[in-house]
Amino acid sequence: MNLSRRFVLRGMGAAAVALPMLESLAPRGAKAGGNATPPYAIFLRQANGVGAAQSTDVGDEPERFWPRNPGALTAESIEGRAIGELTDFADRLLVVGNVRMEFYDYADGHARGVFQSLTGRGANVPGAGGSSEASGESLDHRIGRELNADDRESMFMYAGRNAGWLGGACLSHRGANSRRGPLHNPVLAYQQMMGIDSDQFATLIARQRSVNDLVKGEMDTLLGRAELSTQDRMRLELHQQSVRDLENGLQCSLEADQEAALDGEAAGFESTDGDQVLAAVRAHMDVAALAIACGYTRSVAIQVGNGNDGDTQYRNLDSGQLMENYHFVSHRRQSHGSDGAIIPNSDLLHHYVDRQFAQTFRHLLERLDSYIMPDGQALLDAGVSVWHNDSANGPGHGSLNVPYVVAGGAGGMLRTGQFIELPGGETNHARVLNTLGSAAGLRAEDGSLISDFGDPAQNRTPLDEMLA
Amino acid sequence: MQDLLYLDAPTGFSDSFRADPSNAGYLFENSAAALEVDGPLWSGYQVAAVETASLAVTTPSVLTAILPVDDGDSAARAEAFVRDFGMRAFRRPLEEDEVIAYAALFPGAAELYDETTGFEAGVQLVVETMLQSPHFLYRIESSTEAQGDVIALGDFEVAQRLSYFLLDSMPDDELFDVAIEGSLTQGDVLEDQARRLLADPRAKKVVESFHDDLFDAQSYLGASPSPAFYPDAPADLGELAVQEFHTFVERTLVDDQGGVYDLLTSSVAYVNDDLAAIYGVTGVTGDEFQRVELDPELRRGIFTQVGFLAGNATGVQPDPIHRGAFISERITCSELPPPPDVIPPLPDVEGLTNREAIEELTEEPGSSCAGCHTTFINPMGFPFENYDSTGAFRTMDDGKTVDAATTVILDGQETPVANAVELAEVLAESPAVHNCYAKHWVEYASGRPALPEDEALVQRLAAASLDSSASMQDTLIEIVKSQPFTTRSAFELE
Repeated sequence: MNLSRRFVLRGMGAAAVALPMLESLAPRGAKAGGNATPPYAIFLRQANGVGAAQSTDVGDEPERFWPRNPGALTAESIEGRAIGELTDFADRLLVVGNVRMEFYDYADGHARGVFQSLTGRGANVPGAGGSSEASGESLDHRIGRELNADDRESMFMYAGRNAGWLGGACLSHRGANSRRGPLHNPVLAYQQMMGIDSDQFATLIARQRSVNDLVKGEMDTLLGRAELSTQDRMRLELHQQSVRDLENGLQCSLEADQEAALDGEAAGFESTDGDQVLAAVRAHMDVAALAIACGYTRSVAIQVGNGNDGDTQYRNLDSGQLMENYHFVSHRRQSHGSDGAIIPNSDLLHHYVDRQFAQTFRHLLERLDSYIMPDGQALLDAGVSVWHNDSANGPGHGSLNVPYVVAGGAGGMLRTGQFIELPGGETNHARVLNTLGSAAGLRAEDGSLISDFGDPAQNRTPLDEMLA
Repeated sequence: MQDLLYLDAPTGFSDSFRADPSNAGYLFENSAAALEVDGPLWSGYQVAAVETASLAVTTPSVLTAILPVDDGDSAARAEAFVRDFGMRAFRRPLEEDEVIAYAALFPGAAELYDETTGFEAGVQLVVETMLQSPHFLYRIESSTEAQGDVIALGDFEVAQRLSYFLLDSMPDDELFDVAIEGSLTQGDVLEDQARRLLADPRAKKVVESFHDDLFDAQSYLGASPSPAFYPDAPADLGELAVQEFHTFVERTLVDDQGGVYDLLTSSVAYVNDDLAAIYGVTGVTGDEFQRVELDPELRRGIFTQVGFLAGNATGVQPDPIHRGAFISERITCSELPPPPDVIPPLPDVEGLTNREAIEELTEEPGSSCAGCHTTFINPMGFPFENYDSTGAFRTMDDGKTVDAATTVILDGQETPVANAVELAEVLAESPAVHNCYAKHWVEYASGRPALPEDEALVQRLAAASLDSSASMQDTLIEIVKSQPFTTRSAFELE
């Protein structure tokens, strides 16, 4: 479809963005002026583990991911490591080691990782392998459900082939066995957030009201029918909740001079070429940062690649060539299983993928850092941005020491500038999720931090080690 | 939308809808349980409705097609438009209160548009509204009169089931006329209409979509034979394989009225020069795909074609595990437990053929792997050891003669096969395979996984399909004529 509005994000800088709530654009260091910027959470998911130290059947692999030692993050402690790509933000990072995912019976390492990663729960049907579904709501969705205005769901964005292992997008869930459809094209994500622009708003708003009056009436009538099945009723209620008057998206629109090729940047959202996929991820991040900045949402989940990211070929940073697909690289062999020829230096190739994810995460941090909010702080510091992984490593795709790289600090709630190692192998990641959910603003009825998210069988209390 | 507005091509307005989620446990794209209208999709619908309504009133051919004749009575004309267009948009006649509500949009509509005036403004507003109506967006079946355990659907409801099943679109004018007459479910009318729709070019797309999902043809795009081992393999092997697959399915099942037997045993292929080279066929030049007869001693059916073979291979060797597991699960409907999480690496392959290495890894007596691998997986995969990572035929592996012989278990019986050609024949004559294929069509027609209640229909379809001259179209006709297709369960009422 030809876009009848301005869809441009490339090259945008905070100063050029027409956000009424940002017009003051308070300079850095200015005293906090307006209301405190509400906290938020953005999740960036990587598959297949990271290139960390381990011994595999193809040999010993050196450490290429984690900081050298716990404590303060410094340029020296992360030099040469994948996290080293984030050196400029070292004092605003919290790197969390020794997090343990639960060994739920998903009968597949990828399903266990990605379905558990934001839900903290086991399988809806145990032992289903590639046909698994999650058994609970994901954290991004809960944050959106509880904290967004107008019952708006979190933004769930996806870049990668819309098929393959676990069916493509599989990170965000409304509840048990209810995964969400993703915003795949960043252009559509922007379009949805913007709602309608100034050119159309005046003429459309009155018309849309009359349209919606009639449509809402039809929805009410349908929902009033006694013969409606439970499943259909749930479906229609979600639909009814989604029917709202057109929103004046001027707050989230961009200046005309920012018109550049979001289409071009976003075009590879379904590609298997890693460069194009990551470009689309950056476009998603641009939209996500804008959406957070203008108060459209307080929760975003961005998934890169399908269940095992088995279609994307990332770039070899040494040769400049595209590598074997990422899942092969993570298995160290030309295979989705344990057969196939060994891929030479594949642990280094895995590290190259990690570096590119780190570079992409850095793009998000730079974008968030460019928004100076009315309270004087950079948007980056007001919430949490989380680069997480389904598993600890490849080829085993283990569930011990699953990496969490958290940026921001949620307005000072979380520690920053630190690499913390939790007590070895004992800290369930449900505790991390409850900490992150609390950092995004979720609270129990008594106002305390949440400790009810995820599998009730697990310890879910927030982690003091992560709190400032 | 194309059919609703009598356009020659799709509007493209749906391109920006957010992708539907997959639904584990269901194979096809049309999973009813996964299709939900959330905020992003609703936003897409709003925009598409605005764009489509604008297109409608600015395209003279559309206006000519959808507007009643102007006899000077604009109120009567507005009502007639609402009735006619509304019936086509909602796939049923409008209730009187709906006619009144939509006709009431005409007065004042011109004030709501900058560029549209007069009667067309009312048309634009009605179109814009109807395209956002749940009656347009959902296929609603509202008959409620139970007869025992089922509720017979009305003619308009059957018409839309029929049309969306066979054409993936709304009923056409002829089908609406039959529904209006009330004769769709009488005599042979339903079968006649089904056969008419199956001759429509749009039916080919439905057949292609079904088999695309069934055979996971999109996975062929992942074919990536190692350039070091297969320097002559085309860079776009996956794309070529998908095109070959689509052409084969369309010609075999639609044009030639074939069935499961032909799908699994035909030696016909459709190739360009690159694929011809892999098949060892001479005389094919250029990019144009053409029909060729492959050597029936080497190639029989869809599983000896490049797509399945190259799509289920590592960069260097065939992948008998994935080839075998796919056929067992998808084609015979065997239920295999998922593989263990921690799979030991392949043993040192020095001096071993690919088959020998796989056997050593997976068939150690008493191991957790052996239970499935020796019975359902490896025997279905080893017959394809004669085909390398590009799909080319081979007789040697690591200096040894390829051993493609095995014994498969089908329909509770052990049957020895010498190679993939013999396996194709065995599969084509297996009741389990026909049962599985029929079950998948029933699932596709109903938009949900098969239920125990479907078993009688599935068995009937499979029995008919076993005749080697049976066509896929016969299977679809029988589904359409079946009671489950023309009724819905009464239990939802409780």
